[in-house]
Parts: sequence; structure tokens; C-alpha cells
Amino acid sequence: MSSPTRPLNPRRITVLAVNTFTQLMRMKVVYFLGIFVVIAIAANFLDLPTHAAPESAGVGVLYAIKNTCIGLMSMFSLVLAVVATGLLLPKDAEDRTLYTILAKPVPRLDYLLGKLFGISALIFLSLVVMDLLMTGILTYRTNQVVETQQQMAAALGYSPEMTARLEMETRALGPTWNLQGAVLVVFMRAVVMASVALLLSTFSTSTLFTAIVGFLVLFVGFFQADAREYYFSGTGLLGRLGSAGMSIVLPDLQLYNVIDAVIEGKLLTAASLLKVAAVTLFYFVLYTFASWLIFARKEF
Amino acid sequence: MSTQLRRTLLAAGILVVAGIVRMPVEQALTEDLRSQKLLGKPLDIDTRKKVGQGFWAVSLGGLRTLVATVLNLRAFSYFEGQKWEQVADTYDTIVQLAPNSAFYWDTGHWHMAYNAAAHYQTDSSLPEIRAQAEWRKWIKRGTAFLEEGVKQNPDNALLWKQLGWLYSDPNKLVDYDKSAEAYGRAVEIGGVLPYVNRARVYALARSKNGIDKALPLVRELQKEPGGNVPTLLCLRFALEMREAPGRDSRLLALDLFGTPAKAYRHLGNYYLSTGDNFPLNGVAAELRSLERDLAIPGEESIFNQQ
Repeated sequence: MSSPTRPLNPRRITVLAVNTFTQLMRMKVVYFLGIFVVIAIAANFLDLPTHAAPESAGVGVLYAIKNTCIGLMSMFSLVLAVVATGLLLPKDAEDRTLYTILAKPVPRLDYLLGKLFGISALIFLSLVVMDLLMTGILTYRTNQVVETQQQMAAALGYSPEMTARLEMETRALGPTWNLQGAVLVVFMRAVVMASVALLLSTFSTSTLFTAIVGFLVLFVGFFQADAREYYFSGTGLLGRLGSAGMSIVLPDLQLYNVIDAVIEGKLLTAASLLKVAAVTLFYFVLYTFASWLIFARKEF
Repeated sequence: MSTQLRRTLLAAGILVVAGIVRMPVEQALTEDLRSQKLLGKPLDIDTRKKVGQGFWAVSLGGLRTLVATVLNLRAFSYFEGQKWEQVADTYDTIVQLAPNSAFYWDTGHWHMAYNAAAHYQTDSSLPEIRAQAEWRKWIKRGTAFLEEGVKQNPDNALLWKQLGWLYSDPNKLVDYDKSAEAYGRAVEIGGVLPYVNRARVYALARSKNGIDKALPLVRELQKEPGGNVPTLLCLRFALEMREAPGRDSRLLALDLFGTPAKAYRHLGNYYLSTGDNFPLNGVAAELRSLERDLAIPGEESIFNQQ
């Protein structure tokens, strides 16, 4: 029989995660979904007049829907990951919940993991809801565009092969597995930022500090890859040392910019997705472990 | 040293060691993703302009295409207000944010080379010479914009096709060699409709350097769907007559068009489309001959409609 205080107890972590999830739901953070619905539906009407040739008529709106929905998903998930994670520890301390939990035989690692999984679950479910809505709208509009193009193709006397190829190209701009890969990458990046925010909140003195530094890490993290590039190829000792310092401390958030390329129609292979997932797992383990090292003996 | 401080330093040490270990791995992954065009090129710090472009493209990670969509809406309102400089500047920014979206390159060049150029061409408030200069400036700006688009998306058939179209538009700055080259790239990439291949041949037939290559392609095209469109038939007639000026033009016309009346109608329209700059070898002579045979009254003659 395992010791009750042994860390990494799945049941205990699940209970803490569910509790965190409920806590966040009570904060009404998912009200954002309402805004998402309104904007996603509005994106349907962003079909601006263009000079498009008959074969590409109507595809502009498909781009607009994808751009808007994935952009909003990115925004929502990042803000939630940084702010909500930064808020959790100070709020638990303020509500005295933290003392109640830690007075029990709950390993602090399980507590941290419960918090992270809870917030990750909320982000994941919110993304699933947004993704379903985006996919629904995209499917509807893609069918509409295909129907219009087929009518045009029939009027212009296109061969069945040409019509089929036209349909295939248009459907590739609609809901695809590739696009689902991009949504998954949005989730992964949010998980990394939640881990960073958790690490920050283990030594920060306020939620505001965590949020500000979290967003700074997010912003500068987009340039980590450029700093690393400079370290490997640049000249000048001081510059290389500075860029090495930046590359070592910060996560490489530019990796997740594959989202933009996917929206623009580039193919995200399963191998690339797995590599990005592996890096995400690495960051998650690293930052959670560092959080635990600091938090484990912290006195409240 | 307190336990808490020791543990904090240990955490920092682990982050540093892990950072050193992951650097080459992250670099390799970045290069892999760049090779698949899933990530942009590294920042070029040679010029301020390039830094600005890369800065925004990188820092808006994941939101770039959303911002591009919003800017596209803004550009449309500038277009409605005929604020052409703002339209062009906005599209310059949009394509920095979404360089792989052919849609924005296409729409941007259309606003510049077609809408802005036409606006100045018909602007009666401007002196004629100034209107002409503005028209030329905007066509050149739109062309340069689209050229950059094909440079950044060399495998996009739509953009090559649009470039071919722009270079062969008689109302723009025509360059049939460049047009044929651009259409050729579109056809080579594939996935284009049959009319693009026809447009390529039309451009070749009108270019000094390409006309000799046009006839075999026209013959091939006639076997494909849409191969019997009047322009292609007329072009075939002119090219065949160019190749062998002494041949029996009537026999050729009947072979291509079926009846003298049809030949007269199609060749007549072809002859009158002088702005299109198609070769006219043997066309005028055959039209005169057909007019005689069909007893076309002088006032209805093609040559009186020019």
C-alpha cells in the first residue's frame, strides 16, 4: 500500500485539478466564449468585394473566419494561462484555502500539478468549444462557397475533373485536420505559459507582478529563437553572452508560430506536431519541477 | 544559507543547465520547421526596415493573421474613401504579417495597379500629364507588390497567373515576354484552369521573343477542353499564315471555322480587336476575299468599322 503523502498520486491530483477548474469557472472566466461566438459569427460577414477570378470567388471569407477564430483562441488561451495561473496561488492564500490544503497530507508537487492540470483543462475545454464553433461555421461557409463555385463551373462548362479539383482546393481552405493541429499548438503554447506563470507565482509577491512578468516573458519569448540564432552565428563576445543568457532562461515561443503558417495553408506534418509536443512536455516538466523546488519549503 | 534560498538557487541552476542542453535541440527544430516553411526566416538586422518587419511578424506570434484580417478591413475603408497611399501602406503591412496568404498579395496589387491607377487615369481635376504620371506610378507599385508576392510564394499558381494577367493587360504597362513567363510558371505549377494555358499562348504569340514558339502550342491547345474558342482559332489562322504565307488561306479558314460566314464573323472581330496586339498575318487579305464572296455591302465592311 502506497504512503498517503507520496507525491504524484493521480487521484489526489485529479481532485485538486477539478477543484481548480471549478474555482475558475466560478470566476466566470469562460464568459469570453460569448464574445468569441459573436465575433466568430461576425467573421462570416467579412466577405469584402475583391476582383477574384471565378475559381477563387468567396474564399476570402474562409480566410477571415480562420484568422479571426484562431487569433481569438490564441489571445484567450494566453491571457487565461498567464493571468489565471498567476492568480491562483495568491487567491488560495488569501482565501486561506492554501493553508487548509497544505495542512493535510498533500504533497506540494501534487498541489502544483493539480493547479496546472485544472487550468490546462479549462483552457482545453474552452478551446474545444471554440474549435467546434469555428469548424461548424467553416463547414457551413465552405459548403456554400463550393456550391457557388460548382454553379459557376457548370455555367462555364468546366469538365468534371476541373470541377472536382476546384472543390478539392476550396475544401482545403475549410475545416481540415491540419487546422486542428494548429488549435492543438495553441493549447500547447498556453500550457507552457501556464507553467511559466506558475513558476513566477511561487516567488512573486503579487498577482500583478506575475501577470506583468508573465506577459514580458511571453513577448520576449517570441524573440528567444533570434537570440539563440545570434549566439550560434553572431560575432562579438558580449553580444553572444547576452543572447545566450536570454536563450537559456526563456522558453522558445517562436516555435509555436507554426500556427500562422498553418492558417495560411502550410502543411503541419504529424512528425512536426509531435516534435512541438515533445518540446512542450519538456518545458512543462522543467518549469513545474523548478516551481516545486521553490514552493516545496516555502513558508506561508 | 537558508533552505529556501538554497532551493531557489538550485531551481535557477536547473533552469540554466536545462537551457544550455536545450539550445542546440531547439535550434535544430527551428531549422527543421523553417525548412518546411512553417516558421519565418531569422531576423535580419542589416537594415532598420527589415528589423521592423521581422519584429512585428514575430512578436504577434499566433495573432499575425488576425491582425492581418483587421488591417484588411481597414484597407477596405481606405479603398472606399479612395485614400490610395493608405491602402498601399496597409497592404505593405498586411503582407508582412501574412506573407504566405496569396489572397492579400492578390487583393493588394489589385487595389494599386487597377483601382488606384484607374482612379488617377480618370481624375479630371488633374492635368493630363500628372494623371498619366500617377497612373503609371500606381501600376508600377502594384506590379512591384505582386512581383514581391511571387518571390515570396514561388509555388503559388494564382499569383503567377495574376502577374501574367497584369503584364498582358492592354490598359496597363504591357510586357508580353514577362506575361508569358508568368503564365508559364502558373501552368508549370499546375492546378490552374485551362484558360490560363490559353492566356500563356496568347502572351507568347504577342511577344517578340515568343511568337515562334506559339504555333505548336496553339495546335496542342486545340485538342484540349475549350480549344475551339474563337480567339484561339483566329490566332491559329494568323500563325499558320505567318509560318507559310503562300498557303491557301480559304482552305485554312474553312478547316478552322467550318463556314465562310463563321470565318468572316470571327476573323472580323479578331481583326477589330487591335488593342489586343495579336498577330494579323493574312487576316486582312482573307477578310477582303470573304467580303467579296459573301457579298458584304461596303457600309457593313469590317474595314469601315475601324
